[in-house]
Amino acid sequence: MYKRLLRRLLNWTLRLDVAINRVYPTDFNPLYYTGGLANLFLTVLVLSGIFLFFYYVPSFNEAYTSIQFITNEVPYGVIIRGIHRYAADGFMIAILLHFFRNWFTERFRFSRDEPWISGMMLLLFAGFIGVTGYVLVWDQRSEILVAMTGNALAAVPLVGGWLRDMLFGGSGLTNLLLPRMLYLHVGPATVLYILLWWHYVRIRHPKVWPPAVWTLFSMGFVLLLTGLVPATSQPVASPVTTPARLAVDWFYLLPYVGFKYLAPLWLVALAVVIVAYGLYIPYQLPETESEMGLRDSGIAQVIDANCTGCELCYYDCPYDAIVMAPSPHPGVTKAAQARKLLAIVLESRCVECGICIGACPFEALELPRLLEKDIQGKVLNACRT
Amino acid sequence: MSDVRSGAAPRRPKIVGFLCDWAVSPEGISRADGTMRDLPNVTLIQVPCSGFIRPAWLEFALRNGAEGAFVCGCPLGDCFNRLGNNLIGERVTQMQRRLERQKIHPDRVATIFHGLHEQREFVEAVRAFSDRVAALPGPVVPPARQPAARPSPAQVPAAAGQGTPVPGGSTSGGVTPGQAPPAGQEEA
Repeated sequence: MYKRLLRRLLNWTLRLDVAINRVYPTDFNPLYYTGGLANLFLTVLVLSGIFLFFYYVPSFNEAYTSIQFITNEVPYGVIIRGIHRYAADGFMIAILLHFFRNWFTERFRFSRDEPWISGMMLLLFAGFIGVTGYVLVWDQRSEILVAMTGNALAAVPLVGGWLRDMLFGGSGLTNLLLPRMLYLHVGPATVLYILLWWHYVRIRHPKVWPPAVWTLFSMGFVLLLTGLVPATSQPVASPVTTPARLAVDWFYLLPYVGFKYLAPLWLVALAVVIVAYGLYIPYQLPETESEMGLRDSGIAQVIDANCTGCELCYYDCPYDAIVMAPSPHPGVTKAAQARKLLAIVLESRCVECGICIGACPFEALELPRLLEKDIQGKVLNACRT
Repeated sequence: MSDVRSGAAPRRPKIVGFLCDWAVSPEGISRADGTMRDLPNVTLIQVPCSGFIRPAWLEFALRNGAEGAFVCGCPLGDCFNRLGNNLIGERVTQMQRRLERQKIHPDRVATIFHGLHEQREFVEAVRAFSDRVAALPGPVVPPARQPAARPSPAQVPAAAGQGTPVPGGSTSGGVTPGQAPPAGQEEA
């Protein structure tokens, strides 16, 4: 059942790709660059965030007015604020597209569980940073967010109250709240880059940026939104009047909608279950050998005698699974006699795709269950019929 | 459907195709022995990723009786293994130059990029490739040059052997002795 659902989702994803490929050439299909788009938005967020940071004052009395000052007095302040606001939405959209696309196309197999798990972390941190960002504005929405988060945390048995006090610096609204939120907005944003390193570390030539066309288009779209719908604050928060309704930003505050339907404790439990399941996805349905068929042809093996240390496989391996080590002894073939380096396959990173075999002109790499002579035999058979 | 140029039924040259396991699904378009249902002259060989193909294998196919060889991968930019189809595209382009130097027509190898469900487009692309290969002149592999000093009685049967598969198409001359000069002209 679940498997069939996943297969159908895969089919829909690919159909969508095909439909978009009719419009754009495949090099410009935006769905092939969701990761790059997310990185682009993150860069924009960091740059505009640095600008906003210069003017923001994290105190109950001045937080709201400092943001009004940015909006009304600082040259281009309203534009920078709008960019920060809408690029954040774009960031979350790109991350979610990236997440679902890689889920449905099963790009978490073999050693790709690490990009998957670091990606889940990136998603969590991005959501958290978004919420703290909404608190920083210190309008009525911020107030209700703080109340809701506090309630949810306090509902956790045993450690709940302690968690809330850790996050907000004490029960109720203390002066520590906004400085903490500012730190929790900027600090995790820095951590995003550490997580990105983890996200990229097993990937060679990661597609970090989208094509220039999409860079320009997404930036233009953000600017257009900024001009048409300037980012504004709600009325200032005051401890006297508690607002009844939460103005929802659907990309960041979606979990808070759940408060309407669920008790806080259940909501926390649900969030934990969802995150735990997300982390478990790569290990959920290991493919059996019969399902894998060709794809499980064994980890690539270097043929010591033939390797010339030319590094071609090292450059082409998409998962950085090949390292070049100083050759302990010369090779056997004439071309391999004078080698300085020897290719070594890191088994934990190999996904058995065989791209190194195609890269090697010296027949120094083989997939154990799909040898070159097997392929040549198939070719000869095909030519004979 | 029919080949207008020769007026006869279209020639079906032997073609070997390498098919990425993640790209076009062979279900429904190929038979158990790998030949395609619509194009029985084309044999598909499945591989784990299009990047797995050594370009030398395409040349191996050409030198062993196939008249054309192609690789099919996922749409560019959407390789399951991230870079396989871009890499094979570059490698085949480089190999086409090498083939040209060996007097093998570079159009005899090709890359096709289609996704899992684009079976119809894939068959169309293969059909177009097959027709293009059918229209190419001359033997697939030029007869080996003999040293000038030695008289070459062996060359005649070899060239005749190369000539035999062609006569159905018989576009330009088609007679065995007529096939040697083009190679010579290119050299001069």
